[in-house]
Amino acid sequence: MAEYKVLFTGSVCSGKTTAIKSLSDIETVDTDTSVSDSAIRRKRKTTIAMDYGILDLKEDSRLHLYGTPGQERFKFMWELMMSDLVHDAEGLVLLVDNTRADPFKDIQFYIEEFRDFIVRRRLIIAVTHSDEQEFPDHHFYMNRLKEMGLFTTVLFIDARDPSSVLEVIKELLDHKEKGIDWEAMGERLEVNSTMPGAVKQDEVAQTEDISLMDAALNTRGIVGAIHLDDKREVLSSKIENPHNREILKAMVNLVSALEKKAGFLGHIEDLILCGKDQETLSVFVDEEQALGLCSDRELSINVVKQQAADLLQWSKE
Amino acid sequence: MIELLNLVDHPGVVECSSILKGKEVLASSFPEQYKNHATIAKQSFNYVFATAAKMKSKHDEAHLEIGDKRLSGFLLKGDLILVCLSAKDSNIQQVRKQARQASAKLLKDELEELSKF
Repeated sequence: MAEYKVLFTGSVCSGKTTAIKSLSDIETVDTDTSVSDSAIRRKRKTTIAMDYGILDLKEDSRLHLYGTPGQERFKFMWELMMSDLVHDAEGLVLLVDNTRADPFKDIQFYIEEFRDFIVRRRLIIAVTHSDEQEFPDHHFYMNRLKEMGLFTTVLFIDARDPSSVLEVIKELLDHKEKGIDWEAMGERLEVNSTMPGAVKQDEVAQTEDISLMDAALNTRGIVGAIHLDDKREVLSSKIENPHNREILKAMVNLVSALEKKAGFLGHIEDLILCGKDQETLSVFVDEEQALGLCSDRELSINVVKQQAADLLQWSKE
Repeated sequence: MIELLNLVDHPGVVECSSILKGKEVLASSFPEQYKNHATIAKQSFNYVFATAAKMKSKHDEAHLEIGDKRLSGFLLKGDLILVCLSAKDSNIQQVRKQARQASAKLLKDELEELSKF
């Protein structure tokens, strides 16, 4: 029996669990729990350990499907999976949610995190949610990835549609395992489809009443936050440490002044202040709002930035 | 001081750098095209570190992402600030590493000065 493995990763809500469910011939193993991250505004349940399924390719070959947890707080599982369970995987499928404010930030984040893993194996970028957000399109992805020095395959898929996700597997294994009847497999997996009509929308509906501040303060490692509007007026604020509160206010003022005076140099994206044994203070800005965060010093700057991007994006929905 | 900047500047990581003492620029490798960035860095980092000091906090590192660049400020000792300009998508850990080298060099020079007495 030939055994293959593939690892799915990507941000929360990118469709990892759904994609694996679409492909699996067995009842998938998933380990969902309540979201405790910036994703809380988007969904209530998230994978904590991993997803697992099996796809029978032929009588004598099968594919083991593994999915990482999306939330950064379970990042230790990524390491564990890479070094043990899927160290011999054929490839990494990076699912990218096209509705994200900047999907390329996600790509960059995951490429950094999985750099050592993908050096030795195939990477496929599978773009999801393009039915909700058409742009960036395939052409744009290819150009941007080329600029980033990343030469890889990009496929647009619908994680709910087994035949669509199957294209990723075909791309990964077709040259390696000959004689697979992909069409018959697609028909067989049709029962796994969760395309509209079968999808439960209740989880999304439940999340509408959660404010950005609640979401921020519910995020691991964030201990305080300030939410500002497009005029940089404070909408709400909760920072216990008075010194940090004053510094963060000064940082917000500085960013506002820079937006007016130095806007010609480009968009002021963020201002971050760190120090040994100090909570990290940061201000993130987009056109409609700004967010000041006070976070645990153990969180890396990249993680703080990722969390802030999630919070700002989902607060617009 | 310029030796220090030579140590910090590194292709693909830190494009150029400067050392500030308050509002005074002690040394700089910022080319003409980035003079606005240098000015913004000087004003911003002096302001933000002064505010932190006023609040008795020990924050000593700041990053400002503006356009496709990142300005990083490192409080070395006293009111000496090392400013580094890098591409926004460059590895921040590597920028830190370059700054640490400068900090170590300063300390070494200081010890050598003391040992003369």
